[in-house]
Amino acid sequence: MKWAPWSNLHMDVPKDLTKPTITVSDEPDTLYKRLSILVKAHDKAVLDSYEYFAVLAAKELGISINVHEPPRKIERLTLLKSVHIFKKHRVQYEMRTLYRCLELKHLTGCTANVYLEYIQRNLPEGVAMEVTKTQIQQLPEHIKEPMWETLTEEKEERTS
Amino acid sequence: MAASASVRGLGWRVLACSWELPCTWRALHTSAVCAKNRAARVRVAKGDKPVSYEEAHAPHHIAHRKGWLSLHTGNLDGEDHAAERTVEDVFLRKFMLGTFPGCLADQIVLKRRANQVDICALVLRQLPAHKFYFLVGYSETLLSHFYKCPVRLHLQTVPSKVVYKYI
Repeated sequence: MKWAPWSNLHMDVPKDLTKPTITVSDEPDTLYKRLSILVKAHDKAVLDSYEYFAVLAAKELGISINVHEPPRKIERLTLLKSVHIFKKHRVQYEMRTLYRCLELKHLTGCTANVYLEYIQRNLPEGVAMEVTKTQIQQLPEHIKEPMWETLTEEKEERTS
Repeated sequence: MAASASVRGLGWRVLACSWELPCTWRALHTSAVCAKNRAARVRVAKGDKPVSYEEAHAPHHIAHRKGWLSLHTGNLDGEDHAAERTVEDVFLRKFMLGTFPGCLADQIVLKRRANQVDICALVLRQLPAHKFYFLVGYSETLLSHFYKCPVRLHLQTVPSKVVYKYI
């Protein structure tokens, strides 16, 4: 899609009406045990407001959500205050990173994709997000029964 | 540029030393220096100097009484490309200062969301409207092609500089 700039007319990308928005397929949907979203920012007010928005969106979609706040990290630098001498006089700067963790439980793949897309499109500037997905998969066939039962059967076949 | 290519791996603060001597390719390790008493502060005058809210507050008031002028994720813990964002910021501020001569009422606010850059500026009504429209279109197109990402300009016009107090 060729992007053309429009000054002061903030036009979105036009929707492609030929492609259907809802797709139906026979494959079983992926299941997620837990979706952990870690949001980082410099400003606590921005994080509070984003958490309110994310929790509201999750409740609308019927997803169970838990929020907790990991402790903040402060990175400090000590530099010289003056250009030439005066080693005893220094200046300290710090960069504070505040965190918020949103944990969603028991989702389907489609729900997770929709929710994450909505959340990420509305991510405010200066805020970073890390998503960790924990997927549930069916146990493979060859692990379902214990090994020693099949081994004893094979030994019996060889001896007899 | 030759000088910048040689010092690319050493951090952008070393660029300042190598500008004077473009032929030397050795590295000079200096620490970035800042006179904390004088940084980003408007010096007190007789009571006749008009000062905006942004200028009136010192940098230690950031996150308490002031906000940030440039919003990006480069300085967060575990995120990178902070230096690239800073260099882009410097260029964008100089570009805006030059494209709208005498029209900017206050410092520009730069917001980066996903791929796009939003430049928010408070502008004085020095030029007629059609000239403003042209400058907005010109700068948006030029910057988008230069940075290979959508750049949007949001202007707000103001009759005169908004004064917070007189120092």
